[in-house]
Amino acid sequence: MGPLSGIRVADFSVHAAGPFAGMMLATLGADVIKVESAARLDITRRTHTMYGKPPSSFEQVNANKRSVCLNLKEPQAVELALKLVKVSDLVLENFRPGVMERLGLGFDALRHANAEIIMVSLSSNGQTGPERGYAGYAPMFAAIGGLGHLTGYPDGPPVELRHAMDHTGGMLAAFSAVAALCNKRQAIPPFIKGGAGGISAPYQQDSSSAQHVDISVRDLATSFIGPALMEFAINGREAQRRGNRDTAFAPQGVYPCQGEDAWVSISVDSEEEWQGLRRALDALMGEQNWTDSPNFGDAYQRWLNHDELDRHLGECTRYFEPWEITQALQYQGVPSFPSLPADQLANDPHLAARNAFPTVTHAEKGSQRAVAPPWRFSHSDAAIDRWTPDLGEHNMEIFHGLLGLNPEEVIALEEAKVIW
Amino acid sequence: MTSPNNSDFPRPLAGFCIIEATSMVAGPFCGKLLAALGAEVIKLEPPQVGDPTRRRGPFPGDVPHPERSGEFLYLNTGKKSITLSLEDAQGKLLLRQLAGQADVLIHDYQPARAASLEISPEQLAEANPDLIVAALTPFGSFGPYADYSARHINVFHGGSEGWLLPNGLALDTFPDRPPLMAGSDMGDYQGGLTAALGALAAVFARRSGATGQAVEVSMQEAQLAVGYMPMQRLEAEGLVEDRFSRFFRVGGVMPAQDGYVELLTLEPRQWESLAHMLGDPDWAAPEKFQEPAKFGAEINAGIRNWSVNHTKEWLYQEGQSYGVPIAPYFTPGEVFNSLQQRERDFFTAIDHPEAGSLEYPGLPFRIGESPLPLERAPLLGEHNREVYETLGYTGIDLTDLARAGVI
Repeated sequence: MGPLSGIRVADFSVHAAGPFAGMMLATLGADVIKVESAARLDITRRTHTMYGKPPSSFEQVNANKRSVCLNLKEPQAVELALKLVKVSDLVLENFRPGVMERLGLGFDALRHANAEIIMVSLSSNGQTGPERGYAGYAPMFAAIGGLGHLTGYPDGPPVELRHAMDHTGGMLAAFSAVAALCNKRQAIPPFIKGGAGGISAPYQQDSSSAQHVDISVRDLATSFIGPALMEFAINGREAQRRGNRDTAFAPQGVYPCQGEDAWVSISVDSEEEWQGLRRALDALMGEQNWTDSPNFGDAYQRWLNHDELDRHLGECTRYFEPWEITQALQYQGVPSFPSLPADQLANDPHLAARNAFPTVTHAEKGSQRAVAPPWRFSHSDAAIDRWTPDLGEHNMEIFHGLLGLNPEEVIALEEAKVIW
Repeated sequence: MTSPNNSDFPRPLAGFCIIEATSMVAGPFCGKLLAALGAEVIKLEPPQVGDPTRRRGPFPGDVPHPERSGEFLYLNTGKKSITLSLEDAQGKLLLRQLAGQADVLIHDYQPARAASLEISPEQLAEANPDLIVAALTPFGSFGPYADYSARHINVFHGGSEGWLLPNGLALDTFPDRPPLMAGSDMGDYQGGLTAALGALAAVFARRSGATGQAVEVSMQEAQLAVGYMPMQRLEAEGLVEDRFSRFFRVGGVMPAQDGYVELLTLEPRQWESLAHMLGDPDWAAPEKFQEPAKFGAEINAGIRNWSVNHTKEWLYQEGQSYGVPIAPYFTPGEVFNSLQQRERDFFTAIDHPEAGSLEYPGLPFRIGESPLPLERAPLLGEHNREVYETLGYTGIDLTDLARAGVI
């Protein structure tokens, strides 16, 4: 049983961050019902001019979900959506602020339908403020949140962050959704022993009224640059891009290796690690006299002479494959790892031993490997185990089975392009 | 400023006690998020020195001081601090006593080290079978690399996205340079967030009868989870994306008079609006956007010639008024002073006995319209007396423990 078993989510979200949040909740055991429409196909169901990526029958971001169709331009479809909300615990959406209200599905309408509903709204800039309606994609909210400025080579332009940024926003939305669920937690008091003698303050039951969760992904990008903002608040100084380097120690970087586009990352902080690096290089290549230079004599000298250090180090690493360097350095306790493309990850023995890419199978559509959920619980399940649903695959199951419409009604509404 | 104890604010974890035995960024960020939800988070720090971020700064006037590090102050809001040496036998006993009183314990020790510190789920379950033990480590608690030494750079480059950065303008500028990690140790924050969700889900699972359990997060797998797309393309299309093939043919990083902006027109209505905004030049004819592979370079060159003559702010506001998605690459100072963040009260002034009053970035989520309150980070060992006294230790005991280097 998943930690969120028994929780139902009406997922109105589209495009990357929102659907990813739904997928995280689904892998944790929630029943996530994706509400979509043939009137405007989900981005994963069509070929997109700018992405150039063909749709695939298995789209991880929508796996583990059920799919129903609702053409929300039709008032009857909105009524059905509210019926679904009535039997759901969570509503997830990532339209631009104001769109759900225009559809008749704003927080007030949802609360009217279900006094205990939790609405999770995810947007670029948040539900309030002068820029609430501004459009944004992952690279944009990373940019305006300050994380983009800090990503890149020091002497080059900033770098755009892509779906990993989007999906991290989805991770936050899922976190906040569970936080809001815990806020209601009719039956999950802390185990402690609270009150007299316990460490914590006495437990108090919270109210279980409707809640609106506001996720601004720009805020998320900003929350990831805390130290740079503190630097500005404390010293009025602007932090800059630093490539692969650290602010406090050296060497740290990604170094060329033998092979095409082959690289290894190395990070040396303490004196112990520096001596480990020296021993590893000596073992690989015979004694390396350059490491004796006073320019590298202590941590401060190494930090000051990082460029020179990088040149020497790159001259050593380029004769070896990434794993040869990694193993030699790990043997000495020095942080090191190859930079890995997808095909190498797919065949990696560590990830295989952890079943990090489980196979998802569908009776007719075949099987494909997916990326496992990032948690392993000892007594609960988190799994990606159901194929991406077809558009409207669960129309009958939901509208008849869950909401109680007659099968004939469902078919008639499909023909009327309401359930569509 | 609103009182942190104001009962108007949702505090989903009020009454929960969480022990945080972590350092640097990922684990502390996880603890910070859970503290914001109202849990009592007790941070364990090594005696004398504390969390290494206390030595990393930024410091006022660049003068190192363990109570004035911006990184520590930011990552440890809302927590209590006690000192405890986990390597000491007496320290191990104290940890078991603490674990016996807590709901959740978060640690970031790799498996071999965790076993030697007696902090593995099995060892802690003896002290408290109801305890949720969340472990956040570079490669997880089992598997061939589980005990590999790694920092953010290593995990990020081993988690798919590192090999794929940079793209676009930075790559065009420096095609021969190595792949790049995201700035500000992004992956560490992301891993901390992932672990926070795991711990919270385990707490929620109690609702349906689960009790204590272990949750483990491999930072590498947390990276892979949010960066699943290259794996999907490999599986579905047999395609190995690299940083030269993965870029926006139209749009991306554009120079401005005073820095850079990001411009992305992914939908037809957006590129039509962009064409209008530019005055409908031939190179931006809407049909050219239909063939990004053929015309992308020409369109981007045209956009860059235009954008470089305008400020970031002008491009942002003008673009958005036309419905063209453009956003400025803000420096930290520009984020700090941005209108939207000021209007939303994103920054909060927090007073601290050693660091004084500073404006801190807020939390990235809201339950309701108001930001959740933030409380200051603790001094090293500030709560030793308070916490150890609840375990039954007297002032004299604490003096002895301090002399022995245990606390």
